[in-house]
Amino acid sequence: MATGGQALAAPLPRRYRVDARTPLVLAAALLLALIVVYPLVQVLIRSFRVEDQWTLAIYARALTATNLRPLWNTVWVSAATSVVAMTIGTLLAFLLVRTDLPGRQFMRTVVVMPYAIPPFFGAIAWAQLLGPQGYLMRPVLELLGIERAPWTIYSPAGIVFVLAIHTFPFVFLTVAGALERMDASLEEAARTSGAGTLAVMRQITVPLVLPAILAGGVLAFMGSVANFGIPALLGLRVRFFVLTTSIYNALNIPDFGLATAMSMLLVVVSIVALLLQRRIQRGEGRFAVIAGKAIHPQPLRLGRLRWPAFALALTFGVVIAVLPIAALVLTSFLRYYGAPLELASLTTRHYVYVFELDQARRALMNSLGLATGAATIAMALGTVIAYAHVKAKVPGSGLLDVVGTLPYAIPHTVIAIAVLLAWARMGLYGTLSIILLAYVLAYLPFAIRTTSAALQQIHGSLEEAGRVSGAGPLQTFRDIVLPLVRPGMLAGWILVFMPASRELTMSILLFSLRSETIGVTIFNMQDGGYTQIAAALAVVVLSLVLAGNLALRSATGGRLGF
Amino acid sequence: MARLVVEGLWKQFGAVAAVAGVSFEVGEREFFTLLGPSGCGKTTTLRCVAGLEEPDRGEVRIGGRVVSAPAARVFDPPERRSIGMVFQNYAIWPHMTVFDNVAYPLRLMKQDRTTVERAVREVLALVALEGLERRFPSQLSGGQQQRVALARAMVRRPQQLLLDEPLSNLDAKLREQMRFELKELQRRMQVPILYVTHDQAEAMGMSDRIAVMDAGRIVQVGSPQEIYTRPADRFVADFIGLMNFIPGRVVGRDDARLVVEVLGRRVTVEGPPGVSGPVTLAVRPEDLELDLLGEIPVRVEVRSFVGNVVDYKVRADGQVLRVQAHASVTVEEGAQTAVRVRRALLFPGEMRA
Repeated sequence: MATGGQALAAPLPRRYRVDARTPLVLAAALLLALIVVYPLVQVLIRSFRVEDQWTLAIYARALTATNLRPLWNTVWVSAATSVVAMTIGTLLAFLLVRTDLPGRQFMRTVVVMPYAIPPFFGAIAWAQLLGPQGYLMRPVLELLGIERAPWTIYSPAGIVFVLAIHTFPFVFLTVAGALERMDASLEEAARTSGAGTLAVMRQITVPLVLPAILAGGVLAFMGSVANFGIPALLGLRVRFFVLTTSIYNALNIPDFGLATAMSMLLVVVSIVALLLQRRIQRGEGRFAVIAGKAIHPQPLRLGRLRWPAFALALTFGVVIAVLPIAALVLTSFLRYYGAPLELASLTTRHYVYVFELDQARRALMNSLGLATGAATIAMALGTVIAYAHVKAKVPGSGLLDVVGTLPYAIPHTVIAIAVLLAWARMGLYGTLSIILLAYVLAYLPFAIRTTSAALQQIHGSLEEAGRVSGAGPLQTFRDIVLPLVRPGMLAGWILVFMPASRELTMSILLFSLRSETIGVTIFNMQDGGYTQIAAALAVVVLSLVLAGNLALRSATGGRLGF
Repeated sequence: MARLVVEGLWKQFGAVAAVAGVSFEVGEREFFTLLGPSGCGKTTTLRCVAGLEEPDRGEVRIGGRVVSAPAARVFDPPERRSIGMVFQNYAIWPHMTVFDNVAYPLRLMKQDRTTVERAVREVLALVALEGLERRFPSQLSGGQQQRVALARAMVRRPQQLLLDEPLSNLDAKLREQMRFELKELQRRMQVPILYVTHDQAEAMGMSDRIAVMDAGRIVQVGSPQEIYTRPADRFVADFIGLMNFIPGRVVGRDDARLVVEVLGRRVTVEGPPGVSGPVTLAVRPEDLELDLLGEIPVRVEVRSFVGNVVDYKVRADGQVLRVQAHASVTVEEGAQTAVRVRRALLFPGEMRA
């Protein structure tokens, strides 16, 4: 191995020093195997098993023409959504980052609002706005003097429309970020070479941010593929099925085999999209010129178009951010949905009803409890894994990190199926525990990512300085590392708590009587025609979301949240 | 008696031996510097002394106590060694005030409050930071953060102070000033210092002794003067200061001096006996004298004034030489003249470009 005379001096093999941290990491590995690996492996195995025999029969059934339909629908609806999202997101990003549009900062906050509203709330709100008796539809119909609209929100087009509103912020945020990080001198070089404003945009700027546009597009695609609430509320009643809603249907039959096979299809679509994203990111490496420089280029002067563009952007912001919330609030105060819009129609009785309704109170408590539990468990587990990987560099911790962040690629519908297959037989069926297990599995990647990011901010020498000052490993962790990552951990906790508190996709497949979540209750109310009750509950939840966001902002000094 | 002893230290990273058999001693109150280019193993050596890296072989003793000896399965983690360390980026804890940063090592020793308070004030006065106790690191300048790091490293009066390129993040002026302050501090604290740097001016200016490192080994140990005037080999000669390397051949002997043919001319230099055949002449720019009557004819290509000396680039038979002369004598650019070799070192063998 060593060369020549140095062979004598070949080093002793390196030993890993066992200290107090080791048992903690082993415990985390064990939990990870139980919570993440076991359920996910169950889906894979059970999709090949019928009556204790290894078989491809389930896949044969999944790939028949009737069952391929939802797969095709998922793909085309998501692709269409992604195209719309890329168009809107890119245009808005250019307008709000690169031009002299008035009120750009404010507008940036407004346009990402749909990001914070649960998608199925959006579906409920848009059904109220554009449904057959919608707040926006009625005046238009009266104006045109026609009875029935030729178009309905309960359609594939309606699904794409609402999905696009909820996914375009992905594109907007990635493109706006890329535009901001882009070195202004690249554009200035083109300009000094004799290129005009439009030529610079077309030949320099757009090609450089193209990877960001595509990356945002893939995120929008993945978000659409995994979404359940929107296609369920807008598609089920016209029997338009995508994969997530087909799995919901299969479980209602119940046909576990079919649900499992469909889940595998959903995983495949999701993983293909993820691989695509990896490729785009690698492509982005070629354009490494986009790297944190803080020089801002001259904003593009809109000239005479400045105010018309502002009006257009403002209208768009109002339509996507204000109207849906206004619709929910209005509906929640109306005596009955479709009542004439006058003062006499207003009432608070739905709120009174909601707060007196046992089921609603229970659901709210369930959701808050589940979200608190999921955030705490995921953060505890995630912190140990992130610390072992990023800081202590414990052998094998890289694998823990990979396994722990794997669920990011798995649609939540599939996670619910996995948890069912793994734990339903152990007497957990229909309990809050099984929903908690699903939440921890689904949100663990967020916990690991935020904690890892926070830990990476802490230079290794800060810990080493603790050691040479006389503190042992655990003492250093307590005195130096923990205080420094605490804000990051709090942010991570809230980042898990918030989506978990209004979760629908997993709990709708896992709940039973007494273990409803608030998401399930709102969904069922809306689906059952209790529009005002659903709206009142949604408004309560939105208020909590808003409060949570404010907490997140103050915890992170404005870095996270909206 | 030496406070720090390092013997046969070896540290492997994968297939690369970052430190390959390093031995040295740092005496009582000595300022000892590990000097070398990046990647030479100097920082790894320091980290092995600190206990932040676990060596594969060799022994480290601090104040007579064996703190690391893999063969005997002895390894004291950093917290059990009597050391203080200043990191390149200072590593001041951003969530603690100046006072808390400096007090931390003492609090770990479970000293009572008044003792801690007194010791911290004392050491802060020593580094001229009185009055800044309540500040947070983000409210300090780079130079002040550096002083906090120093104070923290010294506060529990360690047996050995370790400094890892502590001046490299300061601006030139402050760096200059800190050099003197560091020497002064050491004198007052009476603590031995192991210092790591790639900056030869820094090493020359402060050290009692310097160990020049290359590729994981110590190439030469000596006082700054010794290293400058008698570099052990071509690497040290090249790394320390400016040096002209001129290929030549020993053609004869003149008493104790050697006659060497360089650039087609003969020059006589002092050299070790028994050298013959191809050699490389190493000449400092200040040891070349511009003189019409010199041995080697040259043409002056570039002249630049650097304060009290003038730097020349001259060309002789295809080779560019650097010459430093006093500002009182100047030669025009483009002039034909000659240089005389006043002093030169001789290394056997051809020079590789």
